Amino acid sequence: MDAGRAFHRGPIPAQAGIGLRAPHIARVLAERPAVPWFEVHSENYFATGGAAHAALTQIRRDYPLSLHGVGLALGSADAVDEGHLRRLRELVERYEPALVSEHICWGAVDGSHWNDLLPLPYTGEALRHLADRVSRVQDVLGRELVLENVSSYLTFRGADMPEWAFAAELARRSGCGLLVDVNNIYVNSVNHGFDPMEFLRGIPPETVREMHLAGFTRKTGLPVPLLIDTHDRPVAEEVWALYRAAVERFGARPTLIEWDGNIPALEVLMAEAGRAAQYLAQDLRVQDAALA
Amino acid sequence: MPRLLELQRDFAAAMAGRDESAAAWVEERGLPGAARLAIYRHAIQATRLRTLVDEYPTVHALVGAEYFEHLARQYGERFPSRSGNLQAYGADFAGFLESMVAASGLGYLPDCARLDRLRATAALAADAAPVDADCCEAAAAIEPSGLLVRLHPSVFICRSDYPVLAIHRWCETPTLTPPGADPLATQVLVWRDGGEVALAQIEPATAEFIERLGDGDDVAAAAAAAERADSGFDFAAALGALLTRRLIVGFDNKETEK
Repeated sequence: MDAGRAFHRGPIPAQAGIGLRAPHIARVLAERPAVPWFEVHSENYFATGGAAHAALTQIRRDYPLSLHGVGLALGSADAVDEGHLRRLRELVERYEPALVSEHICWGAVDGSHWNDLLPLPYTGEALRHLADRVSRVQDVLGRELVLENVSSYLTFRGADMPEWAFAAELARRSGCGLLVDVNNIYVNSVNHGFDPMEFLRGIPPETVREMHLAGFTRKTGLPVPLLIDTHDRPVAEEVWALYRAAVERFGARPTLIEWDGNIPALEVLMAEAGRAAQYLAQDLRVQDAALA
Repeated sequence: MPRLLELQRDFAAAMAGRDESAAAWVEERGLPGAARLAIYRHAIQATRLRTLVDEYPTVHALVGAEYFEHLARQYGERFPSRSGNLQAYGADFAGFLESMVAASGLGYLPDCARLDRLRATAALAADAAPVDADCCEAAAAIEPSGLLVRLHPSVFICRSDYPVLAIHRWCETPTLTPPGADPLATQVLVWRDGGEVALAQIEPATAEFIERLGDGDDVAAAAAAAERADSGFDFAAALGALLTRRLIVGFDNKETEK
């Protein structure tokens, strides 16, 4: 760590944070709002200089930080992009985040990247492949990686297991943590016709490091219901209900409000985080009562 | 179910619009596999389009949203993304535009794209502290033929046969007087001033001087090259302007470097 750069210490609190996006950075710097923690997309900070780093360095002094990657594409049959991994390691060393996360997905083959969180087949082969990759990344970073379930618009024939079993087994084999995106569970439950509670029941609580909440869009004009994970609107009531069930099952966990399109005023995000905080506080009261 | 590599290759072929054989491995559940794959294809195209719009705002403003979308789709087909980091996407866009607009009378478009790309590159360039007074004093004691200058990593020169800076500023502020699109040799200095990218039109000799310094020429050699472009070139003034703009981050003595 650079001399004189005293970062906020400690883990991400089991409170509701906000995804830090460019339109809000100036206000966060000027006002230091009462947000328990921030998460940023790792790749947005892969360049080594410029205004974004200057701002994040200041913000990091006062807030716990989580780095959330979207580009490592660990489930790809291609070899791990060593350059990408090296930049991630440098970023982790620079900001000392409390959590480092990525996605259960693939995104590149034969050297071509599709820059999307593409769905894996839930097969034994894919599981072995991903678990090996996650283990290698953890070795390179020297710390736990946290893997997120993604929203998806298709599943593959011939799967060996449901999505939640794949995620749980990935955590068991690789020792990674899990980031449970509650919106993605709901989106997938509608798109693929499963009970979202079954997903929650399939995830061991001790593996859950973080939860995500976001808004989805209902696609119209199709013969079947289909939800798209757009991150451009408030969290849906159905997702809030599922989140309450998730908090009940997993206990209070750091929870993030993600909003990436049509980004509203910071107050809107803080209000969404405030609602998540109410549910988290209810769980903490249950825990306190149990300990009393 | 094919092996993971084969499945991903088939999926990629569907994303590129080449082949839909991956649809055979998709659970339909009331929606054909090809339609489900198309959701991803459209999302990928939208992401790429957004990335290029952000990176090439001048080109976007000049050609309009509809034609830009056409260009973005063509570019995506010919230049696949090679990185999981979208900041790397679009590096070949100016060269691609050369081939697209060669016979269209839009000859300035590729150079506008180059200026857009340099602005984005300067914004993300490494940080470096400018030299201080002591450092300048020590450099003043070194003969120009032995003096090497390290420029800030955000410094770039954009050369064009068109008035690209005026075009860029008009696209940013359409209320300005429209620039002509006729050829007009232009050199633009690009750098980061604090957190913001700055642009300034400079003389050909000054551009030559800065480019030579950036290539590792000593000050005397860079000044000689600049004087060939303009016999009245004043290297001390040019060096002073770089110092004033805080664009010099180090001096080296060729003799002690050996």
